[in-house]
Order: sequence, then structure tokens, then C-alpha cells
Amino acid sequence: MKLKQLLLSSLILVSASAWAEPTYRLFVTNEKSNSVSVIDSRTNEVETTLDIGDRPRGIGLSPDQKILYVALSEENAIAMVDVKTLKTIGKLNAGEDPETFDVHPNGNLYLSNEDDAKATVINPETGKIIEEIRVGLEPEGVAVSPRGDIVLVTSESTNMVHVIDVEVHKVIANILVAARPRGLAFNSEGSLAYVSSEIGNELAIIDMSTYKIVKKVIVDVPKSKPMAIKLSPDDKTLYMTTGRAAKVVVMDAETLAIKAIIDVGKRVWGEEISRDGSRIYTANGVSNTVSVVDTAANISIKEIEVGKAPWGLVIDD
Amino acid sequence: MRVLRIGLIAVAAIFSQVVSADVIDVKLHYVGPTAGSVWLGVQQGLEEANVQGEFLGQRYSLQTETTEALAKTKTPITAILVGGDKQQVLAIANNAKYAHIPVLNLLSDSDDLRKACLANLLNLPASEQMKQDALQQWLAKHPESKAHVQGWHEDFRKFAASQLNGRFKKSHGIVMDNDAWSGWAAVKLLSDTVARNQTDDAAVILNYLRNEIAFDGQKGAGATFRDTGQLRQLVLIVEDNKLVAEAPLRGVKSGLDSLGLKSCK
Repeated sequence: MKLKQLLLSSLILVSASAWAEPTYRLFVTNEKSNSVSVIDSRTNEVETTLDIGDRPRGIGLSPDQKILYVALSEENAIAMVDVKTLKTIGKLNAGEDPETFDVHPNGNLYLSNEDDAKATVINPETGKIIEEIRVGLEPEGVAVSPRGDIVLVTSESTNMVHVIDVEVHKVIANILVAARPRGLAFNSEGSLAYVSSEIGNELAIIDMSTYKIVKKVIVDVPKSKPMAIKLSPDDKTLYMTTGRAAKVVVMDAETLAIKAIIDVGKRVWGEEISRDGSRIYTANGVSNTVSVVDTAANISIKEIEVGKAPWGLVIDD
Repeated sequence: MRVLRIGLIAVAAIFSQVVSADVIDVKLHYVGPTAGSVWLGVQQGLEEANVQGEFLGQRYSLQTETTEALAKTKTPITAILVGGDKQQVLAIANNAKYAHIPVLNLLSDSDDLRKACLANLLNLPASEQMKQDALQQWLAKHPESKAHVQGWHEDFRKFAASQLNGRFKKSHGIVMDNDAWSGWAAVKLLSDTVARNQTDDAAVILNYLRNEIAFDGQKGAGATFRDTGQLRQLVLIVEDNKLVAEAPLRGVKSGLDSLGLKSCK
């Protein structure tokens, strides 16, 4: 295991040294206007809007933060955009109906194919699909562990979190969770994973050494449908979007006690946190806005108009 | 690196052995037509239950029965799915032999089956009264409408209904209707329960279905059973085969409980 960690950390070092200067742009997919809104996170103003392709949903950055990836669900593709010039560089074949994905420290994309009950691994440098891994029905959330040794995928209709070993690209464990699991997040060590369940209205913590649920709570917020999860940089606080409840729930990441409930826009799904943890951004699908949350005061300080049905967001900071 | 890889494969092998050693074979008994919508819905449910079972260690199969053959079954029964009319459902549910076995009504909307308040009977389709109540809510706002009410519709998209409609059509070449949804939902209710309890024991399953399940029928909020045995669920208002609304209508007091007989009490 030591050798592997060494290899991974040297890999991370190499990519860290190649990091581009941040543009501080916040990118937002607009599912129903086939566009990406580009927001300057320093002013919270929309800088420009990019025509991107059919039904953009999942969004992410390459490890060096030079390339923006956008899943185009109805084109069965991932669009690649230069973060600096905002020019589309190309499109990757992504299998049927790509929805969400996460980027591995080695640059590969792990994505869920919602209508095809599988996870697909793409090498964006070659454009090749290097693996397809069978999972349960309606795969949704994807999260790569911080060390890159594990990938988690939720299957919404079969209520599982699948644990995929990156080394062998095989499912090595399956964890049954509450109905319709959606969002996933790791703590910074990768020792714990958090999973939200939309229909079960539950949040659970999984111990990644045993693959067992060690804590779970029903989310005590009216109309709550738990969706995306982000952790603060110090791992102490958890921020979760709740769909039609139109709130971000702030929880103690250890006890899962609710610390604050923040009003944001309607049908809040996607979520992003700034590198320093001072801001949360949410995609409000029915309000057609992005909320900017100040995490020191736990209030929304601005609602920015974007395209139709904003879905996901990622920040280059 | 090689040692590591072998180690990981060994770990993976151990996991798969653990799973295969624990596989539960679940046989579901089915009385009803072996062609048409409800049958195909049951088949869809089985296929999906087996996808989940592959990961969690269950294998599901269906035993088709007549009421008479069912009565002669000697082995323990996990659940009985009935795709028949009111009389047939009652005949099975009232048989003392099945008192602790879940009997799932897949087709009949008869209010009598809900008013009977039988502890072992679970009704999946929306009842007559649920549909009437839904229609009244709609007509109060649209008095000229020629709408009717269905439990499911091929154009229903919300709550991942579109994914289920898509899967069904891909597998069977026809659209998913009310009866197909009930057949599918019956098997999913059972497979969710078996997976969560790791048993095919009828009494455990009946208790879980009655008291604990929050079922994802791809129709929104986690569905539960009333003490009448009715699955609490939204219904769809349809006009000229077009989906026009969901009931309970927005703003109606008591939400899902504005539809149908609320309780046996």
C-alpha cells in the first residue's frame, strides 16, 4: 500500500506544479437552455454564457484545472472547454446518457450512465472508454476518493452505494442505503463517505474501512429531498441541498445535527464550495438562479440569474 | 505493485465468496394471466430485482399458480401476487392458511377490498374512491373537463418515471400502463423488503411492508401502506390520453390522504 500512496502523491505533486493560475470562474450547466453560464466568483456577475450542447448536466475540472468537462446527456458525450479561453476543444464519446461524473487524480473520468446501469471510465487524453463497470439501476452520484483508490457510485432505483476498486475496476462491495441515493462526498482523508437519499430523506455516513453505515439521520426539514453534499475544508461541517425544500442544510459532519437551514432558490440540486470554504454555490433548477451562500453567516448573499434549469456547478479557484 | 494487485484481487474474491455463500433464493407465487400488461410488469420487476440481487445476494424466481394448485403448496410461501378480480383476491386473502403471508392485489380497484381491512392484503392499484376523489379535485377547477384518472401513464416523467417507462418499453416493446406498473411495483416492494431484512420469511416481510417501508415506486415521496392495505400514492389526471395533472392537486388539504378511504378506524 505504501508504494501506491507514494506513486499517487508524486502524481499529485506533479499535477500541482502544473496548476494553472485560477480564473475564479464558476461554471454552471443549464440543462434546458443547452448552455454553461460563466460567473466571475469575485464579483458574482455573469461574465458570459457558452452554447455547449444538448442537455448539459454533470460538470467538472481536470486535475490541473485547465479543462472544463461537461456531460451532454442527449449527445452521449462530454464536452471539453479550455478554462482560460472558454473555447470548446472537443467532445468525448461517453456511452449512453451520461449524467454525472468525477475526475480521478490521474485525469480519468468516472461517469454514471443513467439509462444503462453502468459506470464508464474514460481517458480524456486518448478519448477512449477504458472500462465499463456494471452497477445497479439508474446510477447517479459518482465520487472518486481523495487518494484515488476507490470510486463510489450510487444506483438510485436499486438503493445501493457501489464500491469500485480503481486498481482492478471491479465492484468490491455494495452498501444498501435508504431509497433513491443521490449525492456522495468523502472527507479529506477518504476514511468516511457521506451519502444522501432523496426518497428516504436520509443522510448516512459510511466507514470506508468496513464499508458499513456507521451513522444515519432522517433530515428534519419540511419537503426535504436530499441531493448534493459538500464538506468544509476542515471536514467539520456538511452542506446539503434539499431539492424542493429550497434550503441548504448545514450539519455537524460528525454528529449530523442540524446547525443551520439556509434559504436558497427553488428545486436546489447542484452544489459547489469554494476552496477556502467561505462560499457555497447552489444551482436552483426552478428559479433559474445560482445562490451564493456566505458560510460564516450561513445566509444567501446573492441570487444570480442564469439559464434555464441550472443543474450542476464547478469553480476554478 | 504486483503484490498489491494480487492482494486486491484476493480481497475482491473474498467479497464475492461472502456474497455467493449468502445467496437467498426467493420464490414468488403468482396467480394471474401469463400474458399482457400485468404479466410483463411482473417480469420487469423480476428482472430488476435480480439486478439488485446480483449485488446483494438474492435470486428471484416466479412460480405461476392456479388458486387450487397454490392451496396444495407444501413449502413455505414468501408472498402471493394476484392478478385477478375482487372475488379471486378475497378468496386467497381470506384463506386462513395465508393469514401471515402478504397477498398483493395487482389489478382490482374495488373499494370492498380496502374496506375489508385484511391484515395480509396489500392493494397496489389506486382504489375506485381514490380515483373519484382525484377527479372531483380536478373537476372543481375544470368543470368542463372530460378527464379520467389513472395510476400510471406512459408520458409520466417526474420522479424518474421516465426512466422506468423507458426501461419497460425497451424490454417489452409496449408502453407501461397501470397494470404493468402494479406488477412491477409488487415485485419491487418485495425485493426491497427482502434485501433490507435479508430473509424470505413471509411474516417478517408482511410486517415490514405494513409498518416500515418507504417505497420508491418512481412516483415521488416514499410510499407507505394505509391500515386498509392501500398503497398511498399520487394518481394522474388524463384527458384524451394526455397527462394533464397529478392529484392530489396543489394546495389540497391533507395531501395524499385527500384520496380514498383513509383508515379502517
